[in-house]
Amino acid sequence: MRLSRCLLYLAAAAGMGWTGPAGADQELPIFDAHMHYSHDAWEVVPPRQVVEILKKAGVKRAMVSSSNNEGTKMLQDVAPEIIVPELRPYRSRGEISTWAKDPTLIPFLEDLLARRRYVAIGEFHIFGADADLPNMRKVVELAKKHGLYLHSHSDADAVDRHFQQDPEARVLWAHSGFERPEKVRAMLRRYANLWCDLAFLTSHASNGKVAPGWREAFLEFPDRFVVGTDTFTPERWHYVVEHARWSRQWLADLPADVARKIAYENGERLFGQGR
Amino acid sequence: MSRWRALLLVVTLLVGAGAEGWAHLQWPEDEVRAIRAHGPWPPPAPVDPSNRVSGDPAAIALGERLFNDARLSGAGTMSCASCHQAERNWSDGRARARGRAGLDRRTPSLWNVGQGHWFGWDGAADSLWAQSLRPIIDPLEMAGSTGHVAALLRGDPTLGCFYRRAFGTAPGSDDEALLVDAAKALAAFQETLVSPRTAFDDFRDALVAGDLAAAARYPAAAQRGLKIFMGAGNCNACHFGPRFTNGEFGDVGIPFFVRPGEVDSGRLGGLAKLMASPFNRLGPYSDDKSGASALRTRHVQRLHANFGEFRVPGLRQLGDTGPYMHNGHLATLQDVVRHYSKVSPDRLHSDGVPLVRPLGLSADDQADLVAFLRSLAADPPPRPPPLTECGAG
Repeated sequence: MRLSRCLLYLAAAAGMGWTGPAGADQELPIFDAHMHYSHDAWEVVPPRQVVEILKKAGVKRAMVSSSNNEGTKMLQDVAPEIIVPELRPYRSRGEISTWAKDPTLIPFLEDLLARRRYVAIGEFHIFGADADLPNMRKVVELAKKHGLYLHSHSDADAVDRHFQQDPEARVLWAHSGFERPEKVRAMLRRYANLWCDLAFLTSHASNGKVAPGWREAFLEFPDRFVVGTDTFTPERWHYVVEHARWSRQWLADLPADVARKIAYENGERLFGQGR
Repeated sequence: MSRWRALLLVVTLLVGAGAEGWAHLQWPEDEVRAIRAHGPWPPPAPVDPSNRVSGDPAAIALGERLFNDARLSGAGTMSCASCHQAERNWSDGRARARGRAGLDRRTPSLWNVGQGHWFGWDGAADSLWAQSLRPIIDPLEMAGSTGHVAALLRGDPTLGCFYRRAFGTAPGSDDEALLVDAAKALAAFQETLVSPRTAFDDFRDALVAGDLAAAARYPAAAQRGLKIFMGAGNCNACHFGPRFTNGEFGDVGIPFFVRPGEVDSGRLGGLAKLMASPFNRLGPYSDDKSGASALRTRHVQRLHANFGEFRVPGLRQLGDTGPYMHNGHLATLQDVVRHYSKVSPDRLHSDGVPLVRPLGLSADDQADLVAFLRSLAADPPPRPPPLTECGAG
């Protein structure tokens, strides 16, 4: 195990120019594609502490969204080499259930898109036919106009509607829709521009072993999965280190090249370019 | 059976409500079925197959004696009863417990503790005896030691006598085995702490029996609160059964920072402790050699959701025993109900229909829900004095 870990690290280091010092970063580097740093976290987990946590966890890069997006900027200011900015359509976390029908939303997004650079819009929450509401349609249009990924916490129905609205859309399916692996595989086969994050899921791994069904999904689509911690409350920033450790345990049960892709390379390729 | 079912298909109760006058509440059959599930009370006495002295009167006597014996602590100043005070519903009225040092969680009540299957706010123990052992040797709580407890059992003639009556032999030479035996006696005693019957139990039994006149004596506000509890509140999704708890864990939106830069990881940390403990049901100290009672422990899985989850407490004898929640975050029962009325959904991660959501209760609804919760408490009968002489009883 120790040898394979070492080889994994060497391969990763060779492929990605990863030359960190000894410590947590000797392990498989991680691109965490599902993080939030919302208003209620700013005082209790200040930006510099966030960066310390990420470094301790061996999270080399993190795609972060925040309600009201100022948190993302605060982290970028401290660690631009780590933070990948994602535009969240919420000004406060309380807008989770109201944003899709909020007439002030689109001007808010357009203003930020005019002033700042983002890689994705999300994570937003939308289910079923609500994905055809005007705000959601406009968000799909904005993503197309600005070349952004849609980070959608949704059911398969809503994902279908995203692609109906824009067949060229690029969608990161948050939590893999909390779907069974068979359904996830079917969706990945149907949509070439669909990727899945594994945030908040545990069904795919137990005691360091990848579950049947999910293993086949990872092996069939090694380029289509990314990991994420989902720091949806301030307290969860203190789960990042343990989550990274847990992720490395189950990733070690996959072929090294697949583990490397899911842990880091997919996130870097999709979201990390042009930093 | 058919008579009460027919009666209860749509039952209209004439409720005597004192100053409120008479009120009519309807209890359809599905609601009666749900109410029925909250009884009968008291339940059958628990028997723990992992504890060979569970239910044994001599072990109960030893356990009660140990429970009140400050010599179990390292400094000789703190007993189990220092925090689990009988007159305070087996808790201490503090927001956060105080052992040798200040702690991060509230002292849980011991009422009906023998009916559980996970113990401690984080479920770090899978038996009452394993849980009873923990605070004795925790340096932040009683700060005792294995050798200290063993020496006490071996050296104190009265305790030694009680021990012989309970376990059939004199205290042996294995310190750790003696510590476990002391904990098993403590568990046997705590299994006897069963909360009294309440106004709710009388209502439930009357409703089930079809005795509408008796059921009507249950206060109208409590009945309205019960409707919210089972209906809009969906409280019985977790607080179900005779103890009003599923015995499992949940995140109900209570912050769990304990100090700057540090959190209480709750069930997630509890699971790690459980699996690392030599005193769990999979270990050598379980008296259940069949292993059947270790099923939950054997198959438990860690989930990301476990981070910040705490045990769902039973609701009997809540009354005025605040502060409430795992860390005493809410001072009064009104505060608890207000929390569930206004909880931020952003703090809760769920897919689909969330179990916990802001209920948006009116002031009257909140008062009714509090009235119902208060109806789950009653004055306990006086306890008989503990045995002081080994030969007695």
